[in-house]
Amino acid sequence: MVITVENAIKDYGDSRILDIDNLTIKKGIYVILGSNGSGKSTLLSCISGLNSLTSGNILYNGNKLDSSIKNSITILLQKPYLFRKTSYENIISGLKYKKINNKEIENRLNKYIHYFNVEELLNKKSHWLSGGERAKVALLRTSVLETEVTMLDEPTAAMDIESSMKAEELIKNLSKDNRTVIVVTHDVYQAKRIADYVIFMDKGKILEMGDKDGVLGNPKNKLLKQILNI
Amino acid sequence: MFEFIKEFFIEYNDMFPVIMLSLKVSLTSTLIASILGMVSGVATALNEFKLKRTLMRVTNTLMSLPPVLIGLLVYMLLSRKGPLGSLGLLFSPTAMIISQSLLVFPIIFGLTVSNISESAKEIQLTCMSLGASKNDTLKAIISECRMQLLSIVTAGFGRAISEVGAVMMVGGNIKAKTRVMTTYIALETGKGNFNEAVFIGIVLLFISFFINTVLYRLQRRE
Repeated sequence: MVITVENAIKDYGDSRILDIDNLTIKKGIYVILGSNGSGKSTLLSCISGLNSLTSGNILYNGNKLDSSIKNSITILLQKPYLFRKTSYENIISGLKYKKINNKEIENRLNKYIHYFNVEELLNKKSHWLSGGERAKVALLRTSVLETEVTMLDEPTAAMDIESSMKAEELIKNLSKDNRTVIVVTHDVYQAKRIADYVIFMDKGKILEMGDKDGVLGNPKNKLLKQILNI
Repeated sequence: MFEFIKEFFIEYNDMFPVIMLSLKVSLTSTLIASILGMVSGVATALNEFKLKRTLMRVTNTLMSLPPVLIGLLVYMLLSRKGPLGSLGLLFSPTAMIISQSLLVFPIIFGLTVSNISESAKEIQLTCMSLGASKNDTLKAIISECRMQLLSIVTAGFGRAISEVGAVMMVGGNIKAKTRVMTTYIALETGKGNFNEAVFIGIVLLFISFFINTVLYRLQRRE
């Protein structure tokens, strides 16, 4: 799916949160970097349709967002809510909403669950999980949907290093079969490891955008240079 | 004490309809107010609109409305010369249910909006991100907030069963027809029959204790 963001403006009261002239997202892994309040999460929520723009357009293969496109997009929110159910019920909840049959649900579960070895957590209620465990369950819940576009807002922020590496493997796997994955992170090293393309944002604007080697290897923006210690 | 209880069980036939009517009127009005209050409360909690703050201010005022005012309003509506007088509902259990529903609705609505606003929005976003339909989202919100909602219903029921002013006015406290526990207590106290009034008072307390015990157990199980 090709996502085109055109003249996108998002205001909250007097504050301009998002101000993007043009952005095109195709297949592959896109990593969005930027400081707090730079508009990364707002951009994701607008692309996912959870939030609306003040003005401008977001097109999906040239079309406006409709229910069939919504079905092809999923987002892992920055602070994901886990239902007061078991981890297993949480992981399969999206598949149940999409009315996927039980056999396929088991296939998807088996395909992704090994990334985190969470078998012993499956029967545990979500409110007994630690922060890292909750993050794993939430990432698995989004991943099993296998949508054409998957957006992940700081998916590894609460995970330990080992789990983060596993999550990165999973993210790479999600981008297979011509799918698009958009990841928001503050971890530049993670961006280097997983990204095909990097978008750098500040104060709602895209300051730099392009393939990973170009943006992270030879940044033009002063702030990004500072972050990368170049 | 034993003799006292024995004596009252002899008078059981008189007490039983009063207790049953109290439960019937209060449970029915709580059920009606809960369904309407929760659905509109969840919808209000999830949506932002121009007059939301004004609506909540009005609701908060109505939450503390004196029951006699509701009683007066329903009385005027249902009295023979009132707009709904032709229905002949005044001094009937239905009139009592109407007045108690009006009394409980703002409580259920107001508490639903204020207690679940934040979590309902979070659940809504999560459900939307997972491709849930509007129906699935509403079910998820009610299921996830069930303990808060149950507490709200209990508060509403508490208001209904302990209320005396409105049911007295629109029910008329007619023996074996519209006499409920609270109006019974008021009547017997006025007549100086404190034993009967105290007994019914204990029954009222027991019902409240029983409901709170069930709620506490449900919360513990969660």
